[in-house]
Amino acid sequence: MNFEQIIGLEVHCELKTNSKMFSGSPVTFGKEPNTQVNEIDLGMTGTLPAVNKKAVEFAIKVCYALHMDIDELLCFDRKNYYYSDLPKGFQITQERRPIGRNGYLDIVVDGKMKRIAIERLHLEEDTAKQFHFEDYSLIDYNRAGIPLIEIVTKPDIRSGEEASAYLEKLRQIFIYTDVSDAKMEEGSMRCDVNLSIRPLQSQQLGIRTEIKNLNSISHVQKAIEFEALRQEKEYLQGRSIMQETRRFDESLQETVTMRVKGDAVDYKYYTEPNILPIRLDHQWVLDIKKKLPILPDQREKNYIENDKLSQADAHILVSHKELSDFYDQTIQECSHYQFVCHWLLGEVQAYLNKHKTTLNEVKLTPHFLAKLLNFIQDETISSKQAKKVFEYIIIDGKDPEIIIAEKGLKQISDENILNDLINEILDINEQSILDYKNGKDRAIKFLVGQVMKKTNGQANPQKTNQILIQLLKERID
Amino acid sequence: MIQYSIEELHELFTKRFLDPIQYYEELFQEVNYQQKRLNAFVTITQKKAYEDIQKAHFYHVLSGIPYALKDNFHTKGIKTTASSRMLENYIPIYNAHVVDKLNQDESCLIGKASMDELAMGGTNQSALTGCVYNPWDSSRIAGGSSGGSAALVGSGVIPFALGTDTGDSVRKPAGYCGVVGFKPTWGRISRYGVIPYASSLDHVGIFTRNVRDMAIVTEAIAGRDDRDMTSSTKPVPQYIQNLNVNIKGVKIAVLKTVSDEMRNAQIKDNFESIIQVLKDLGAIVEDVTMPKELMKCILPVYTILANSEATSNHACLDGIKYGTRQAGKTIEDVMIQSRTYGFGTHIKRRFILGNLALATENQEKMFRKAQKVRRLIVDELNQIYQQYDIVLTPNCGSIAPKVNEAVDDRLSDEYIILENHLCLGNFAGLPSLTLPSGFVNHMPIAINLMGRLFEEQTVFNVAYALENVLGFKNQFSREG
Repeated sequence: MNFEQIIGLEVHCELKTNSKMFSGSPVTFGKEPNTQVNEIDLGMTGTLPAVNKKAVEFAIKVCYALHMDIDELLCFDRKNYYYSDLPKGFQITQERRPIGRNGYLDIVVDGKMKRIAIERLHLEEDTAKQFHFEDYSLIDYNRAGIPLIEIVTKPDIRSGEEASAYLEKLRQIFIYTDVSDAKMEEGSMRCDVNLSIRPLQSQQLGIRTEIKNLNSISHVQKAIEFEALRQEKEYLQGRSIMQETRRFDESLQETVTMRVKGDAVDYKYYTEPNILPIRLDHQWVLDIKKKLPILPDQREKNYIENDKLSQADAHILVSHKELSDFYDQTIQECSHYQFVCHWLLGEVQAYLNKHKTTLNEVKLTPHFLAKLLNFIQDETISSKQAKKVFEYIIIDGKDPEIIIAEKGLKQISDENILNDLINEILDINEQSILDYKNGKDRAIKFLVGQVMKKTNGQANPQKTNQILIQLLKERID
Repeated sequence: MIQYSIEELHELFTKRFLDPIQYYEELFQEVNYQQKRLNAFVTITQKKAYEDIQKAHFYHVLSGIPYALKDNFHTKGIKTTASSRMLENYIPIYNAHVVDKLNQDESCLIGKASMDELAMGGTNQSALTGCVYNPWDSSRIAGGSSGGSAALVGSGVIPFALGTDTGDSVRKPAGYCGVVGFKPTWGRISRYGVIPYASSLDHVGIFTRNVRDMAIVTEAIAGRDDRDMTSSTKPVPQYIQNLNVNIKGVKIAVLKTVSDEMRNAQIKDNFESIIQVLKDLGAIVEDVTMPKELMKCILPVYTILANSEATSNHACLDGIKYGTRQAGKTIEDVMIQSRTYGFGTHIKRRFILGNLALATENQEKMFRKAQKVRRLIVDELNQIYQQYDIVLTPNCGSIAPKVNEAVDDRLSDEYIILENHLCLGNFAGLPSLTLPSGFVNHMPIAINLMGRLFEEQTVFNVAYALENVLGFKNQFSREG
């Protein structure tokens, strides 16, 4: 029996605004527990929420990136439940009128494009972080009140691979729109999976389980693959699937029961009485669209169509915003697109991998890289010399022009100079001329080596070779 | 001690006719005397008041003026209990916006006043520290929920106090205690730092003993506060400068649907006499009505809305972060034990009611329906304001009840309309002022004036003109 997986994803993403969703305390990470809080974040009675405009702007940015309809009447609701990580006893969220509706995201799996429909995007506030120990618990309120957006897909996803592609793409959008660090390992991007299975061709939906605590995209994929198989087995063995919340156990690489949904909480949603509906300025909403950077899909398309990069290269470039941005800036000054791309993905990446660092941390700038590559193109330096210069730039952050001058790395390509140089070498190496005459090609290598030695390796190797052979032939004749 | 008004005290201080320190010494003697008689304070902040008065410059009219806060206004470093066991030892880390404002003006807080637990009630009998007694007759209640503030101003010990008003919690006790009680338009004064009851109905309110003082305090604490998004950005008018006894041509609607329910002949006569005074002053006074069926909905609508919002507003009181914590085996158990111990019976009853009305399965037929009926009532009221500037009603149907006779819940028509109509001002967020209008059996009675949104000035002026004729200005009762 073949089954179909019906998957919907709920993604929470922390916004990197300066201050919290409804209070003025700072949004920071890794600070001493309970130092980034004020009376509002602690849910002190009497406090009132004030909406963070930047968070609204960030949410709208993502709405645009996901092709959503934007609700210009901003409304908030209360979601009521008691939990120790929820300081107010309710969460302010957008239940009835999410800021974004009806969007989509295109993903590519096995070379095929698929459109994933997105039902809603809404703004809300994060809860506090809890640490449970054997006989006590600790609460860190630094996280309480950080702005969150929640993005809910339609149940359009059909495999772990699709889910993974969707999340990767979504993560890129958060990073390109510069609204979040979107790090699943650190919890600034979180994903809950809703999964059910049904026999192929069946129209009826099965009972779904929810999977939580997934802290990487690969875990999402693994959890889905495990959970789908588990549900299939249950189905085939005639057991009913329970509606429950499960979590992914990393050590077992399995999903395990967290809680069974018997006594579902009634959240008693109702309009937040302390925030009257806010009519967003239409022009302000439109202006946010203008601030949107070119998104990965469009960049990839531009790279392939305009810059004639290969699909594979273009895809790698856009997969890391800093790489793509670096490329875009470099080609402003160096129009050899493929050459720039190859250097970035070759030399530059190799260096970064070797030293376990990132583009942001090294001293290489697009301006210097462009300059360096232009020197190769106009034969000021050889590729081999360029590699040396590159190391100096990336470590010292010096202008390649200065490095070339200081280190005497400028290539000698002037044919008259080379002619004279080579003649001098030939004059004192008669044996080599004889060897060449006798068909020993090794002699050429030796003579080139002599030229290089004399010029400190600055002689243009191609030209040296070419002129040397020409002069040798002349001398033999 | 002589019971001065704000303006009198200010003049005496600035002209150095009165030594502030000496005045405060006498004041606290009186405070201790009145506390024994009225039980109106939860906390007396004598030490802080002495510190503050020594620093006062008397530039602002409120500088050096003693006042009290209902115990649901957050005061940094000073216990704020809302008269609930849950907050019995709660010392806030921040000030309410209005407290900051009054601090800027150098007013001197002398204490935190008793209230019905979490402001839920109309008798002040549910306070953790016990009943507050009426300054005119200590066998009677001061009313609630801002009973402590009302009683203190009524006893003459301070010229003003702040309260909160969700249904009538400033205006009802003001009437019982013979003082001026006012709540301006919803959004005119920031609610930041005020322990809420029902956010959409909650107002900061003020008690004074005359209308000029009311205009002074309103002007001082009103205005936009970015921490309260519902606070208005409209500039605060100069209420005192614009006070005017000339009310010729002001159109006043007598809401017959309310006044017709009066059964007490003396209160009725008093109300008729007020109408005559207003006519004599040149106001145009006419009768209007509202559908009785709608008016009878005020109490049930209020009960549903207020308790629904309250249950959510007070969900933060779980014993986890602050407040009284009781031990429990699990976190959930801690919350349950803390709330069971921390809240009075009537509070729990109201929370259950609120939760019932908010439950998804009931929300449409209870909470949302109540919201719709509220809207219908407000629409009906707005019809009246198309033609009239002020709606006039008796404040309520009786004098302050005896302590053991005061019950919150009654269901007669007289009670349902006459004892709950002040809530119209909360439903519509309108400025509403209660003014002493006479005495029945040696107990003060009052009328209520309700104006259009943000037209506080008209309300003040009508009250000012009336006060000028009626002669109950600055009254108080030290004994009884």
